[in-house]
Amino acid sequence: MTLYILKRSLGAIVVMWAVATLVFFMLRLLPGDPLAAMMFDAGDPAAADVLRVKYGLDQPIYVQYWRWFTLMLQGDLGASIYGSRVPVSQILLEAAPRTLSLAFLSFIVAVIIAIPAGLVSALRRGRPVDHGVTFIAFVGLSMPDFWLGILLILLFAANLGWLPAIGYVPMSEGVWTWLSHLLMPAIAAGTAFSAIIARMVRSSMLEVLKTDFIRVAYAKGLKPNQVVMGHAFPNALIPVITVMGIAFGLLMASTVVVETVFAIKGLGRILIEGILNRDYPVVQGAILAVSFIFVFVNLLVDILYGVIDPRIRVQG
Amino acid sequence: MTDRTRSDLRSFMKQSWDEANDFDPADPMAGLNRSDLAGPQLGRRTVLRLLAASGALTATHLLPGAVPQAQAATGGTLRAGWSGVGELRTIDPAQINQVLLFQISSNVLSGLTHINPALQAEGDLALDWEVNGDGTEYTFNLREGVTFHNGDAFTADDVIYTYQRSKDPEKSIHSRVVANIKDIEKLGEHKVKIILGAPQASLLVKTLERSSGRAMTIVSRGAIESMGLSEYGLKAVGTGPFKVTDHQLGQSMTLERNEAYWDPNRPGVDKVIITPIIDPEPFAAAMEAGDIHISGGNPIPPELVDRFESNPDLVTSIIPGPGFQGIFMNPWRDPMKVTDFSKPVEELKKEKGFMVRLAIAKAIDRELYIRQAHFGRATPAYGTINPAMGYYYDDAIAATSEQRFDAEAAQAMLAEAGFPGGEGFPELRILCTASTRRDCLVIKNILKKNLGINIELDVKDFPVLLDEFRAMSFDLCRLGSGGDFDPDDGIVDWIQTESKFNGRDRNKDEMPFGWFSDPEVDRLVTEQSVTADPAARKALVQQANQISSDKVAQAFLYHPSDTMVWRKEVNFPDASRIPGLVDLDRVTLS
Repeated sequence: MTLYILKRSLGAIVVMWAVATLVFFMLRLLPGDPLAAMMFDAGDPAAADVLRVKYGLDQPIYVQYWRWFTLMLQGDLGASIYGSRVPVSQILLEAAPRTLSLAFLSFIVAVIIAIPAGLVSALRRGRPVDHGVTFIAFVGLSMPDFWLGILLILLFAANLGWLPAIGYVPMSEGVWTWLSHLLMPAIAAGTAFSAIIARMVRSSMLEVLKTDFIRVAYAKGLKPNQVVMGHAFPNALIPVITVMGIAFGLLMASTVVVETVFAIKGLGRILIEGILNRDYPVVQGAILAVSFIFVFVNLLVDILYGVIDPRIRVQG
Repeated sequence: MTDRTRSDLRSFMKQSWDEANDFDPADPMAGLNRSDLAGPQLGRRTVLRLLAASGALTATHLLPGAVPQAQAATGGTLRAGWSGVGELRTIDPAQINQVLLFQISSNVLSGLTHINPALQAEGDLALDWEVNGDGTEYTFNLREGVTFHNGDAFTADDVIYTYQRSKDPEKSIHSRVVANIKDIEKLGEHKVKIILGAPQASLLVKTLERSSGRAMTIVSRGAIESMGLSEYGLKAVGTGPFKVTDHQLGQSMTLERNEAYWDPNRPGVDKVIITPIIDPEPFAAAMEAGDIHISGGNPIPPELVDRFESNPDLVTSIIPGPGFQGIFMNPWRDPMKVTDFSKPVEELKKEKGFMVRLAIAKAIDRELYIRQAHFGRATPAYGTINPAMGYYYDDAIAATSEQRFDAEAAQAMLAEAGFPGGEGFPELRILCTASTRRDCLVIKNILKKNLGINIELDVKDFPVLLDEFRAMSFDLCRLGSGGDFDPDDGIVDWIQTESKFNGRDRNKDEMPFGWFSDPEVDRLVTEQSVTADPAARKALVQQANQISSDKVAQAFLYHPSDTMVWRKEVNFPDASRIPGLVDLDRVTLS
């Protein structure tokens, strides 16, 4: 197992390098001069030329790449070239807790909704409750998260005044303060994923409920709850865990719309704004962070397979 | 009490009663205006009027001294929302590239001067100044006893350090702004002489100004050296009314009262928390819910203004904004080709390329455009000089410019150029960004309706649009300027042949100039920039503005409105209502 994890980790590093390298070159193929844009209507064209040399943007691309790569190996991701000059590592470290908090809570929201809904739907297959859950799942899937977010803001912040409309407060300032700022964003981001997971729980449970060992369990005289929760559900979890792993990875990287609506500066917004401003070091740093999360969440999922079902534990 | 005294008192109370009730009952403001209601103290007349309007006025209130003064409390935390922006990238003046950033730095750092609501310069760190006979030497007496937020004393050395830093293009993006300053001499601990290469009319309002100027916004050498550049960008140390105590990039910035500020009456609040809010709807909801008290940042989306105005908890303030927007037309491309703008207008009108340019400019019904694209919240533009500049703005230009709307004349002109009813006119592409897409669609529809010509939208990211604009690689380009406080911002930066925006990256072998060049305009612009006499300068500015309008340097569209919104509990005095800025030092909370 240890060897397996080591091999997968090595593979993950190669994937991250490949993604970062691809992004490095693609970004520079895009038209648009970051320094000229930064200085539009305000700056001195001569200053743009000086900064271009200072940041090495006048060098051939392969020279820029080698410089970035060697510095990156030393842990230096550079600094933002669009105005602030703040180190990329600082930008990412500040944003990571916001995105992690939002993704984690969204994930919890998604799971809390999805698992009971999926189970009920599978156990009441073809009945009104199944159709109801299926209908709600499709509504959840079809509802854009930014739209749901705005509706939640209008209802709970502007009209009822129960929750703050915007912003993020770290947990160090109080658990409720932290939670109150994240509740609406988490619901907005988690709803669509809950629908996906619920559908997966339902279909996976239906598969398992048809198998012989479930029939044997019933024949042994076990109570329905014991059969469902003790035998069927754990066996139905493998594909669900896969989807949940992907969902968590996606939540980390794709909450940009929700982050924008709720004025939370997370990794997604850093990435999008970096691309729009052609802030190369920030985009490269954010891509590394996102690919790291994605690759290692998937690795975690693989390890979880073995924990849930020892039969498929991978041999080193 | 004598009879005489009784009689006087009765008369005084009668007069007060009449004055208090002298308003139209249908007027929700009871005849009061914003300045009547501005804090920190309401006048007796205002309080009596409010009592009368609410039906609560009694004889007791009319007794002299009986009316308690409604006093706005000092202190408290003001929460501000910066609209349309994801992060407050830097407030180091040397790196600031957006109005929404110097709106903040204006609260943290100081300059030698600061503009007032009429866009005139007033002393900030400068107590007073003298100018020599030919306008090339300014001697400033500096305010004494001022300290930076880190405790360092402010002296003449800080003025010189700021200048040295700003003129180095590696350290500041505004080196061009101080290019005319040849030297700054220290005449004493609190006295400096600024020596100019040539007289400069905009020195006090532009170069030395604390907010928009940036190049001479006084920075702290000690803080820069101890904090480093990136940290200084996030938490700049200055001598302003507020100091930065926290800044989570992209999340919020916290300003706290500078207890050592040179004016003991300011600031009026203890703390300001500024949150950037990029999306309009959450911004509106946060304002309505009371999560934020006051707006700043990018212009409030015009579609929200009616909503804010109808909300009784909010005050909406709309004044002319400092900027212009327009459509640039490439004079090196058919069918708008004009290779020599130096000819008189009447002669240019005989050229087909110029006819097309003028037809496009004249066919734009600016009132309709502003209604459809900006919900009626803007002023039609015919030049770069904006109404916020007040004194320099030409009120008559809407009637005198060759660009004034006349659909029939535009059609006739296009027909004369060989395109009757738009027949045979090639399809033109207009460069725009996602944020100006709606503008361009409205323009496309107006030109189709009035001229019968087809315009296609070419939506690009801003950096890409800018590359193509600078290389003169466009047919039409929808662009403009904000933060223009002095005529130089409009005409030196935008109309002169050597303007930094005038086709800087063009192929100079094929295009001797960018999108406009007229020697007469260049002469006028240069002359106004060295003319100290305001009346003479105004004449030169308006003349340059008129010619560039008549010769269609671009098809001017509108001057934006500066809209601010705050909640009723905020007292935002008129003295702080400077176009484009959000000075919070005089703001108090009720």
